[in-house]
Amino acid sequence: MAENSDASEEVLLDCRKICKSYNGPMVLSDVDFSMKRGEIHALVGENGAGKSTLIKIITGVTGRNSGTMVFEGKEIGHDHSRTGAQGLGIAVIYQELSLIHGMTVAQNMFLTKEPRMPVLGIINIRRMNSLAQAMIDRYGFNLKATDVIDGLSIGQRQTVEILKALNGKASLMIMDEPTSSLTSAESAQLFGIIRQLKADGISVLYISHRMEEVFDLSDRVTVLRDGRLVEVLEKERIHPNEIIRLMIGRCLDEKDSKCVMERKGGEVVLDVHGLSSEGKFSDISLQLHAGEVLGIGGLVGSGRTELVRAIYGIDAHDSGSISFQGKPWTPGVSQSIRGGFGFVPEERRLQGIMGGISITGNIGITNLDSIAGKGFVSDRKELALSRKAVGLLNIKPAEPSLPVGNLSGGNQQKVVVGKWLIRDLRLLIVDEPTVGIDIGAKEEMYQTIARLASEGVSVILVSSDLPELTRLSDRILVLRKGRIVKEFAEGAVTEEDVLRASSGILEGGAA
Amino acid sequence: MSITALRRLILIGLLLAIGLGLSLASPSFLKLDNLMTLLQEASQTGIVAVGFTLVLITAGIDMSIGAVIAITAMICANFLTYTHIPAFAFIPVALGAGCLVGLFNGFFITRFKLPEFIVTLASRGILAGLALLIAVKDADGFVSNVFIQDPVYLGFGGTVGPFYIITIVFLVLAVLVQFFLKRTRSGTNIYATGANPTAARLSGINTDKTIFAVYMFSGFCASLSSIFLSARMMTAMPEFGIGSEMDVIAAVVIGGTPFTGGIGDIWGTVIGTVFLAMIKNGILKLGISPYIQPIVIGGIIVVVVVVDVWYKGFAERLARNRARRRTAEQDRAAA
Repeated sequence: MAENSDASEEVLLDCRKICKSYNGPMVLSDVDFSMKRGEIHALVGENGAGKSTLIKIITGVTGRNSGTMVFEGKEIGHDHSRTGAQGLGIAVIYQELSLIHGMTVAQNMFLTKEPRMPVLGIINIRRMNSLAQAMIDRYGFNLKATDVIDGLSIGQRQTVEILKALNGKASLMIMDEPTSSLTSAESAQLFGIIRQLKADGISVLYISHRMEEVFDLSDRVTVLRDGRLVEVLEKERIHPNEIIRLMIGRCLDEKDSKCVMERKGGEVVLDVHGLSSEGKFSDISLQLHAGEVLGIGGLVGSGRTELVRAIYGIDAHDSGSISFQGKPWTPGVSQSIRGGFGFVPEERRLQGIMGGISITGNIGITNLDSIAGKGFVSDRKELALSRKAVGLLNIKPAEPSLPVGNLSGGNQQKVVVGKWLIRDLRLLIVDEPTVGIDIGAKEEMYQTIARLASEGVSVILVSSDLPELTRLSDRILVLRKGRIVKEFAEGAVTEEDVLRASSGILEGGAA
Repeated sequence: MSITALRRLILIGLLLAIGLGLSLASPSFLKLDNLMTLLQEASQTGIVAVGFTLVLITAGIDMSIGAVIAITAMICANFLTYTHIPAFAFIPVALGAGCLVGLFNGFFITRFKLPEFIVTLASRGILAGLALLIAVKDADGFVSNVFIQDPVYLGFGGTVGPFYIITIVFLVLAVLVQFFLKRTRSGTNIYATGANPTAARLSGINTDKTIFAVYMFSGFCASLSSIFLSARMMTAMPEFGIGSEMDVIAAVVIGGTPFTGGIGDIWGTVIGTVFLAMIKNGILKLGISPYIQPIVIGGIIVVVVVVDVWYKGFAERLARNRARRRTAEQDRAAA
C-alpha cells in the first residue's frame, strides 16, 4: 500500500473531531478531515451528509462547536472568519458570485491589488494587463486579460475565479459542484486546470455528485454520511460503486420500507409529450395517472426543477405538447390553478411563503376566487379557510393571525401545502418538500402526500432525498443533463439504483 | 464595438442632430453668447451630476442634493449679511456643510442599513426646512432676498474669455473625476461596490468607507454648484435647488449610468447634461412655453430608460447566443 509514502507528505489542513449543530440536531459529529499539500481530495456524501457545513467551517463562514483545525502547521482559532481564511490562502471557487460585472478579467484578478505607478497611486493598467496575461498564458487558458466578464461563458468565468484565487496566493482551493453548469468540453478543461494546480503544489478540495469525475480526478476521497466520517479512500480503492455503497450505507444493513413499486393503472391525468426548453431540458415525455406519485430524481442542475416549473406554467417551453385530462393544455399559472394544480416550490422562503404576512393571508392569496368572489376579500371566509388548512395539516401554533415567517420550517411548509389542499386539487407538484424541516414534520408531509394520492390526486415529487423518493413514489423518472435517462416502474428499486442512474453509471454490475 | 461605446455614439449623434435642427430653426441658437449660456446652464446641473453619478455607480441614490444647494446658499447669505468674513474664508465652510450632509447620509446608510432613498429623502426634508429657518429675515420675520455685493463672491459668476468660470470648473472636475474613477484603486472600489457588494467585500474592499466617500462627494458637488448659482443670480434664496434633482437624474440617466449600479462614467454625464441643456435651450429658442420643460424632461427619462432596458436585453441575448455558439464549437472540437 502507498500509505507509508503518503505519511511523509506534508499535511496542509488537519481537522480533528469537528462538531457542529445549528440549534438542535448534530450536523457534524466528531469528523476528522485532512488534506495534504498538492492533492486533489474529493468530499462526497448524500444531501444532508454535512459536506457543505464542513466547507463552511473550513472557510470561516460558520463557526464550529468543538474540535481543532490546523492549517500549514498553525492552529486556527474559533475566531476563524471568511477574510481570515482568505488571508491564510483558503479560496472558494464560486460559480460567478465573486466576480465584478462590467470589469475586465485583469481588473477582477487584481481587485484591491492593482499594480500602481510610483506617483499618485495611479493604476498601471498596462502592467496589470501584462501580468494578468502572463498568468493566463502560463496556464494556457483561452482568455484575454482585457475581456470583459459579461461576455464570458460560465466556464470561462470559473476560470477567472481560479485565476483570481491564484493571484491571491491560495494554497487550498475549494470547488463546490464546479461542473454542475459546465458543458462537457468546459468540464474537461476544468479537470486539466485542476491537475495543473496540483502540479503547482496547490491542494484542491472537490465536491461533486458526479462519480465518474471523482473517480477520474481524486487522489483521495472522504465519504460522509449523516454528519459522520464513514471512510477515507486511498487512490487504489476509489471506485464509483464502492463510493456509492459507502454513501448510502444503510441500504445494505436494513431493508427500505418501500422499495417495491407498483404501477398504478388509473386514467391518465397529465400527458407530456416531447417537451423541450433550450438549455434546460429536452424531449421529455411522461404520463401521470390518477392517484399516482411520480418521483423525479436526478442531480441538482439536471433540469428537474425547470421541468416542473414548465409544466406548471411558470416558465415557457420551446416545443412539445401537454394534455391534461385528455384535452390539449396550454400551461400558464392561472390556468393551472383553475385546473386544480397545486405547486410547492423548491425555495420555501423565496418562492413559497410571504414571511411577514399571516397564515390567513398566505392561504387566502391562492384562494381569492373563493374568498373574494365579488372583488372584495371576505375576512370571514378567509379566516374559515385558513382554519380549515390549519386543522387539516396540524399547523402549529394553530393561530391563523401569526406571521408565517415566525413558524418553524416544517410548519411553514405545511402552510405552503395547506393553501392548495383546501382547493379542489387534481395534481400537486412538490419540489424538495422536506428540505430543512424536522423529522416529525417530514413524516407528516409523507403522510399527507400518501393520503392525497389515495384520494385520487396525482403527485409529481421532485426530490434529492433518495429514501424519500423511493419510499413515496409509485414510479421514478431519473433526469440527467435535461433528459430522462431511466424509468423505474415496477419491482424493487434501491437508492443505489437511483443514484447510479443520476450519476450516469447505468450498468452498475460488479463493484 | 462594446454596447456602451455604441450607445454613446448614438447619443452624440442625436446631440449633433438636435443641435443642427435647432440652428436651422432658430438663427440665434448658434450665436456664441447662446452657446456659452447653454454650457453655463449645463455646468450648473453638471457639477451636481458628477457627484450624483458616483452615488449611482454604487447603486445608491442621493435625493438630498437639491436641499444641499439651498442650505449652502443660506449659509453664504448669512455670512454675507451678518459678517465681514471674506468670501474665501467662508466658502470652504459652506462646502464643508455639503460634505457634512454626505457624512450624515453615509452614516445612516451604512451603520443602520437603511435604504438610501429614505435616508436622503429625510435629509432633503430636514435641510429644506433648515434653509428656511436660517434664511435672512426682514423685521416682520419674512424671508428677505439677499442682494450679493461682495465682488469676490460675485466673481464666481464671471467669465474667462468667452467661457463662464463654472463651465471651466465643471470640465476640470469632470476630467479629474473620470480619471479618478478609471485609474485609481478607490475608483475601482466604487464600481465594485455597486456591481456586487458581496464580491467587493470578499475581495477586501471596505464598501462602507466607499459609500461614505461618495455621499460626501455628492454633497460637496451640490454645495459647489450652489456657490456658482447664487453668484450668477446675485442673490440667495432658500428655494434654490429645490426640485433640481429632476434635472440631475435626467442628465445622468441620459448619459448612460443606470440605477442598477456598477456601470457608468463621467463622460456620459457630461454628454447628458449638455443634451439636457440643449433641449431646454431649444424650447426657449423655439418660443414654446417654458412650462413644458418638466414634461419634456420627464418624458425623456421614460424614453431613455425604456430604450436602455430593451437595448440591454437585446445585447445580453446576443452575447448569450455567441457564448452558446462558442461552447458548442468547443464541444465539437473536443469530441
